[in-house]
Amino acid sequence: MIQRNNILISFDDEVPLLQAVRKLRDNKEIITDVLSPFPVHGLDEALSIKRSRIPVVGFIFGAIGALLAFGFQAWVFTVSYPLIIGGKPFFSVPTFIPITFEVTVLFAGLSMVAAMLIRSKLKPEIRFEPVEERITDDRFVILVEAEDEETTLSRIRSLLSGIHTIEIR
Amino acid sequence: MMDEQFDFKQKYRNLLLILIAGGILVSLAAIFISKPGPSRIWANVLLNNQYFMGLSLGAAFFLAVHRVAQSGWHTVLQRLPDAMTTFLPVAFVLMLLIYFGIHNLYSWTDNNVSDKVIEGKKAWLNIPFFFIRIVIYFTGWIVLTRMMRKNSTALMISSDLKYHNRKILFAGLYLVFYGITVSASSWDWIMSLDAHWYSTLFGWYVLIGMFVTSLAFITLLIWLLKRLGYLKYVRADHVHDMAILIFAFSIFWTYQWFAQYELIWYGHLPEETSYYITRLHHFKVIFFINLGVNFIVPFFGLITFKAKRQIGWVAIVAAVVLIGHWLDYWLMIMPAAAGDKAGIGLLEICMTLVYGCLFIFIVLRSLSTGPLVVKNDPYLEESLNYES
Repeated sequence: MIQRNNILISFDDEVPLLQAVRKLRDNKEIITDVLSPFPVHGLDEALSIKRSRIPVVGFIFGAIGALLAFGFQAWVFTVSYPLIIGGKPFFSVPTFIPITFEVTVLFAGLSMVAAMLIRSKLKPEIRFEPVEERITDDRFVILVEAEDEETTLSRIRSLLSGIHTIEIR
Repeated sequence: MMDEQFDFKQKYRNLLLILIAGGILVSLAAIFISKPGPSRIWANVLLNNQYFMGLSLGAAFFLAVHRVAQSGWHTVLQRLPDAMTTFLPVAFVLMLLIYFGIHNLYSWTDNNVSDKVIEGKKAWLNIPFFFIRIVIYFTGWIVLTRMMRKNSTALMISSDLKYHNRKILFAGLYLVFYGITVSASSWDWIMSLDAHWYSTLFGWYVLIGMFVTSLAFITLLIWLLKRLGYLKYVRADHVHDMAILIFAFSIFWTYQWFAQYELIWYGHLPEETSYYITRLHHFKVIFFINLGVNFIVPFFGLITFKAKRQIGWVAIVAAVVLIGHWLDYWLMIMPAAAGDKAGIGLLEICMTLVYGCLFIFIVLRSLSTGPLVVKNDPYLEESLNYES
């Protein structure tokens, strides 16, 4: 999964993590990835990560679901198999609403989950080696891109000398 | 910054008082010229009583719900709904005035009509019990909101944590009392306008309408105060959360509207459909405007992330929601009370203006009697640094 050489910096707390991220970005270091066991407040802004477009996906697919469900019911009850139910007209909007609502929610929810999995490149049988075993436990990791390991390593070591890191390798 | 106080300038007070006086005069002229009949006049009194009292109660509900959930983000906004609850004593007096119009509004007060359905409801729908209930509702609401306000003031002065803990207790008491009485009061004042009809969803429907309207009014207050230079520490994050609440509860209101409508439509029972037949046949335009304004506008207006964070845009949507829910109450009350004579004319607009200016006057005056921020509240720090 890691194609280029990366320097790994690990921390045991989120505060030095954020400080290091800011310092590295100020010095135009390219951060490949930041790994943490829980969402760190302020990390998205520090890394200038743009807001996710998954809600847009949800809206579009929800709208598709609404049109599909309403249209399908309309076709079934007027063209395909009209039945007199409770003396109500064949094309009765109030009857169609509950199913339309539920299908809207269904399509929106499923599409957002699918979009999230696709964007995260998660698929069945995926394998990857964790760079640091304790990343899901109590360690935070920054991966910095480095064409030349030696110089980058020493540069980063001096850059982060004031910040409490566990390991830089 | 912490001690800033709203300065209710004399020129604004005068403006509001002039509008109130002018509104009363024009209303009287409208009554004299168009002769709407006592039912419509009293229906206007009832409509505006319900609407503005609902603003106060919904504001207290906002505070109570947040306190019971131990939420911190709203702390910086607490004074605004606090000030809105001070209208309740005025609403009490205005509601008691209904006594003079009670025969014009409620057909069950007519002892000459003998009707099996109304006879069966006589134990609840009789004039003495009706007014005893008004007294019970308002006494409870006024006492509980007063307790909540006094508690906040005590916390500001002394910073003793026991006042902070009491907040949750009072909030819980208010919620229980409010839940029961808002349902019962909506049956008394609105549902009994047509005593043959009933809907078990009615109390809920009115409650949610009250809450959305109060949220919208609080948002408008935030906009007004920010425009006048106050509340600089209320950021886009707080506005975002108010917009989320308006968005979500407008959807909930629509859900209640639809739940009541669809079940009655599908059951097709004559004793239930009479409500919707009147409104769909004679007031079709307002019926669908009501649904459109109260659902479509908040839903599509506040759906995007950016839209929720700009106080200017959220204030516009809030203003539309406020008008929309007035229309909603109009649709509940007018067709039943005034029948053929119902309409939206100079009388309605002027009386609403009078009530509105009175409400704003009382709220702003209460707001000016203390600092705009509740100092010494344990959640204040969290609220000021809130990120949403």
